[in-house]
Amino acid sequence: MPLLKVEGVTAGYGTMEILRGIHMTVNDGEIVSLVGPNGAGKSTLMKTIFGLLHPRSGTITYRGQPIDAREPHEIVRLGLCYVPQVDNVFTSLTVEENLDMGGYLLDTAELPQRRDKVYAFLPRLRERRQQRVGKMSGGERQMVAMGSALMLEPDLLLLDEPSAGLAPKLVDEVFDNIERINATGVAVLMVEQNARKSLQMAHRGYVLANGENRYDGTGRELLDDPDVARLYLGG
Amino acid sequence: MSAPPGSETALTAADPPRLGERLRAAVQTRAFLVAVVVAVLVGLYAGGVAAGASAEHLASLTAWGLMLGGIIALGSIGLTLVYGVLKFPNFSHGALVTLGAYVTLTVMALLPAGRALAPLSFGYELIVGVIVAMPVVGIVSLAVDRVVYRRLRRTNAHLVLFAMASLAMLFLLQSIIYLGWGPEFHFYYPGRPNPALALPFGIRVRADQLFILGLGIVLMFAVAALLEWTRMGKAMRATADNPDLARIRGIDTERVIAWTWMLGGALAATGGTMYGLSSQLRPEMGFWLLLPMFAAVIMGGIGSAYGAMVAALIVGVAHQVSSSFLNPTYGPAVAFVLMVLTLIIRPQGLFGRPEG
Amino acid sequence: MSQVIVLKGLMLGVALSLIAMILLPPGRRGRIAGGAVLGLGLGFGIAATMPPGYLAYLISFLVMASIYAMLALGLNTQWGYNGHLNFGVAGFFAVGAFTSALFTIEAPTGLAAAYTQVAFGLELPFLAGVAAAAVVSGVVAFLIAVPVLRLRLDFLAIATIGIAEIIRLVFQNERWLANGPQPLRGIPQPGRCLFQSARCDWLPEWALWLVEPLGTRDYNAFYLVIVAVFLAATYALVERACRSPWGRMLRAVRDEEASAAMNGKAVAFVRIQSFVMGAVIMGIAGALYAHYMVAIDYAHFHALFATFLVWIMLMLGGSGNHRGAVAGAILVWGVWSGTSFLANALDPVLAMIHADMAGRAHYIRWLLVAILLAGVVLYRPQGLLSEEMRVSRYLRDGRGR
Repeated sequence: MPLLKVEGVTAGYGTMEILRGIHMTVNDGEIVSLVGPNGAGKSTLMKTIFGLLHPRSGTITYRGQPIDAREPHEIVRLGLCYVPQVDNVFTSLTVEENLDMGGYLLDTAELPQRRDKVYAFLPRLRERRQQRVGKMSGGERQMVAMGSALMLEPDLLLLDEPSAGLAPKLVDEVFDNIERINATGVAVLMVEQNARKSLQMAHRGYVLANGENRYDGTGRELLDDPDVARLYLGG
Repeated sequence: MSAPPGSETALTAADPPRLGERLRAAVQTRAFLVAVVVAVLVGLYAGGVAAGASAEHLASLTAWGLMLGGIIALGSIGLTLVYGVLKFPNFSHGALVTLGAYVTLTVMALLPAGRALAPLSFGYELIVGVIVAMPVVGIVSLAVDRVVYRRLRRTNAHLVLFAMASLAMLFLLQSIIYLGWGPEFHFYYPGRPNPALALPFGIRVRADQLFILGLGIVLMFAVAALLEWTRMGKAMRATADNPDLARIRGIDTERVIAWTWMLGGALAATGGTMYGLSSQLRPEMGFWLLLPMFAAVIMGGIGSAYGAMVAALIVGVAHQVSSSFLNPTYGPAVAFVLMVLTLIIRPQGLFGRPEG
Repeated sequence: MSQVIVLKGLMLGVALSLIAMILLPPGRRGRIAGGAVLGLGLGFGIAATMPPGYLAYLISFLVMASIYAMLALGLNTQWGYNGHLNFGVAGFFAVGAFTSALFTIEAPTGLAAAYTQVAFGLELPFLAGVAAAAVVSGVVAFLIAVPVLRLRLDFLAIATIGIAEIIRLVFQNERWLANGPQPLRGIPQPGRCLFQSARCDWLPEWALWLVEPLGTRDYNAFYLVIVAVFLAATYALVERACRSPWGRMLRAVRDEEASAAMNGKAVAFVRIQSFVMGAVIMGIAGALYAHYMVAIDYAHFHALFATFLVWIMLMLGGSGNHRGAVAGAILVWGVWSGTSFLANALDPVLAMIHADMAGRAHYIRWLLVAILLAGVVLYRPQGLLSEEMRVSRYLRDGRGR
């Protein structure tokens, strides 16, 4: 059974329809990359999976369980975590408080050891743990956001544009971190504007355009496909 | 709309700043706001001296101001938390303050009268009254949320509709108070003497006033501890900061909002009772406190409970000291001046974060 | 028909015609003629058939409803067209009322001066008082607008509710200004002498027979005509102004401030203009109120009566729609007046619940209007008549959107 299965999902805001019958699956331990031009509906799909937006038709299941009618705080309990593209940290809280909010569903007694695990994984956060996140740089905020999402030790991590707006050196670091997370057995579904790089890392990928599926295949296949390369990867 | 400070620095990076921009950048700092607030306070004291008030009198006024500040603070904490989480000015909060005072009165009437806990003027029944009034008002404010504001939240209604609905709820609760208790003044202990204690430096305060200040400080620390160290407190701050992210992180924001209303209502009830104890109960007492409370909320920075507490003390002192040379009913006007100064100089207040 | 009935019918008819012209659907050719026929017909019909007591009630109802309609029009210019969340209508209403009173009143002398203190009493004619009310209210609005209008929407609401409260405090405390906590009495009424036994000295001899049968009790019908003329003129003015390029600019600033600014509109100045214009209308409404009441005091300008009710009227009628604002005002004033009968009817019920509650029935009216506003906000936030998306009078409805 796939971890996450999206079947024929149509969704949008108000009268605007953004997703039109999307199909997609993510299996245990995979990195799946969503690529496509601006406005293809990648971020909307992420939000719909996470219950911030409810589909008008179609189903979304997680381990066979339907989640399309659930609220975000219920979906987190199932073992999915989501890092939005923007506003993904609590700026008025400290690093440690952000991590605690990431582990909000945990027993309070468990928090310290989970925090230690995250600190071991992202050591820079430990140095900064009493600092208010609002005063930190973009790269550090991204790290806090990812760290908070790891607090629940999810089986599936949704990342929306994790490298957006970061300096090239930091982009490499972010991709490095994603591979390390994946190596611990966490499946990752990511949206990236840096399509070539994310497909190189991904096990599989989906190309979306205009709210519809266009191509899918392994990361390699998509990279080698001349049409995909010409239309969506900039030649 | 004034541009957030951040965008200005971006602008000025390219061009050398014009004089107006540099001036504005200098004015919009916390230091400047503090300086202006201090200047207003100094001006008020100077006005008192000019009107011939003695040093002892001014010292007593300051003490009374701190006490009034404690009352305002109890009211503003709920107001600022709701403002921070739900992003609308809740005008009906004034009526919750009034309701708390009257619920205490009714509970006291049901209890057998006890002796005064000397040197305080009140007996055990007032304390029982407050303890009952806190959850009652908390539940009322939660019920109003469930019936009105939650529906608006579900439809993503515009801020204006929230503000309008809260105005409606202000008059609704006030009319219920008028219906239930009538327009006349009430006292918790009609005619009971309450002599002032003579403290050092010629300060004259009543024991009740010291109790009010003490209770205010204790509750303020309790709220601070709640927000700083408990799970629910942190969730409240997180929800105020970024409601969508809070939901993504697994926080049931509706539950957090419910607790925010309960807490705000309970503190408003305490504030109302203390206000009633220090003067008398009037159906419009909470409406009268609305301006000082909003002044404290805005000066302290919306959503910041600590900020509201500190600013409430400033507002309370300014309010009382101004009465040394102004008609005391102008108190809300003094609070209003402080509020408008804050809004003009630095809308995010003394303790708020820069926007954006 | 007796002469009294004809005269009363004529006055009521003229007033009703003017109101009917406002309320009839716009854009039809027969609006003015139809309004005149309908209003005059109704006026004569009512004057001929209705018992005098009811007629007097109807007339005083229409006077107050028209004054509130003007407040609603003023608020609509500010909120409906330019998005100012003004919760301080009461303040401008009070400024207008007291200004006009002071400009027209006779300054008391001798013994009376001990009981009634005023800063000045100029004994100017009614229209000068109204003009002064408009100017002073506009100046106050301008002084407030400069620091406050650049605030965020919610801050503006808090600030304006505070300003109105402070204005009320000033009129309550400052005895020297307008008799402080005591009512300011003896505000003159325009044309009052027409109805008194000693007729106006300016009235020509030949016209005396015309007003001969009228008594002081009939004065309100005459005042209703004055108020209706002001209402119709205000309506025509704001309707024209809001259909003009200026009105389009107001809406542009309201909806898309940034793009209006990028299109070269002086956004800050536009916002001040509409705020001041709304306040001027509210000030005129205040003047009309003062001369109607003859005696006013600070308690008349409570937020409930002078701000809250006006907002309900505008919200119910439909903000951004002047016709809706007037209709909402008449409707809500009807509900408010009607609830006074209901409250009386409920008095015994309250007395059964608790003896103390018997005298408090009129607070049920507050309760009901608060529920009414909550209901409008929850179930019909766009009001009964929603905003007309009219771009220009040269284009048909709905085009250009």
